[in-house]
Amino acid sequence: MKYAFFLGCLIPARELSYEVSVRKVMPELGVELVDMKGANCCAPFSIQSVDYASWMALAARDLCIAEEMGLDIMTLCNDCYESLLMVNTVLKRNPELRNQVNQLLSEVGKEFKGKITVKNLVDVLYGDVGVSKVKNAIKEPFDGLKVGAQPGCHLTKPKRIHFELLRGFNELDSLVQATGVESVPYERKEMCCGGPLRDINDDLARQVSIQKLRALKEAEVQAVVTVCPFCFLQLDLGQLEIKRHSNEEFNLPVIHFIELLRMGMGMKLEDWEIKAHRIPITELLKDRL
Amino acid sequence: MSLSELDLGFMGEVANTPRGKGVLLCIQCGRCSSSCPVARLTSEHNPRRLMEMVIIGFKSEVLPHQLPWYCLSCFTCLDRCPQGGDIGEVMFAIRNLAVRQGNVPAGVAGQAKALYETGRVINPVRTALDKRESLGLGKITNEGLEEVQKILKKTGMEKIVKST
Repeated sequence: MKYAFFLGCLIPARELSYEVSVRKVMPELGVELVDMKGANCCAPFSIQSVDYASWMALAARDLCIAEEMGLDIMTLCNDCYESLLMVNTVLKRNPELRNQVNQLLSEVGKEFKGKITVKNLVDVLYGDVGVSKVKNAIKEPFDGLKVGAQPGCHLTKPKRIHFELLRGFNELDSLVQATGVESVPYERKEMCCGGPLRDINDDLARQVSIQKLRALKEAEVQAVVTVCPFCFLQLDLGQLEIKRHSNEEFNLPVIHFIELLRMGMGMKLEDWEIKAHRIPITELLKDRL
Repeated sequence: MSLSELDLGFMGEVANTPRGKGVLLCIQCGRCSSSCPVARLTSEHNPRRLMEMVIIGFKSEVLPHQLPWYCLSCFTCLDRCPQGGDIGEVMFAIRNLAVRQGNVPAGVAGQAKALYETGRVINPVRTALDKRESLGLGKITNEGLEEVQKILKKTGMEKIVKST
């Protein structure tokens, strides 16, 4: 198993522990990741809101780089996933639009051919590696820990784009549970973290997060497990912002799914990685840090 | 607002953009609003109402307003619309038109500018770059930037970035 590794913008800039963990864990599970030289930003919803053609062409440029590498793409961030998956799907289905986008790409000597598939970390772990292999790799299972898994919006929505590779809560839950934790059902699991409203209306963004965090607290989870780096940021850093603005305190640790997997496989987090969590995880994970 | 202030071609204008066709299917049932996590929190945001305003022709009310920007793009409405009307997609069409009238929140304008100048919407600060180096992680380069700028010049986004 070999993938073109699409890192995106947020993870290499602000969530280095996510990147480090992926680079440590995936080869152990037999997945080789090849960096995409010269890749640009996926053009997430903010850019899509500004201009349609720019979105199509920029995402297609990234797809072309993977096509030239002859590899399918693996993304980590849900926004990268949505953008690249949607453009790949739409351009494969619509020859007229593909011609228009290829005209733009001809400016830079590229052509979208529709030869590859776009997957997310969850797709790769569930569909290619398989839950049983993940489970076998766990040397130090997290017995007795109750968590709430946060799939994030674009891992599963919109369904008409995802139906070919449909991954939903169940797939993520079975991967999370493979580490030995209990993935507890909670209300509003499907709901957005609120992150997209950051810098547009911060107060509303926090209110959306509060709905989610209250539901998680009601389900008595000990931690939230995220896949998307924006969900992580909004739910982790977001808790400090909520405390500052409304005095509501959740104190709910947030962990990247890949970190959970890494610890379960017996690879400890380093000090700086533990400290990268604004809501401390030391108390919760004291046995294994 | 008087009848003469309505723009009866607004729905057609939205529907003629690549992501806006869904507005033609809207039957005003309100399932988008009842699915929307933001509409749950504030009566200000109401996707059904926004569709109604587009259908009737309240162009001068909709495009300068912050309402189209309250959408999280979570796509819950898109999955739930009984008409397959893709309301969450229509929101992108409305925002694309709003941007052309200068209605861009600062956060979005900042990301568009960063994209044009660096090829990325978020860039690492100095400490993160140092940390990457000490960890032996790959350098963040901008070798794709020239091509990104060529594309954005061609699509006209360069002009939008420079005017906001």
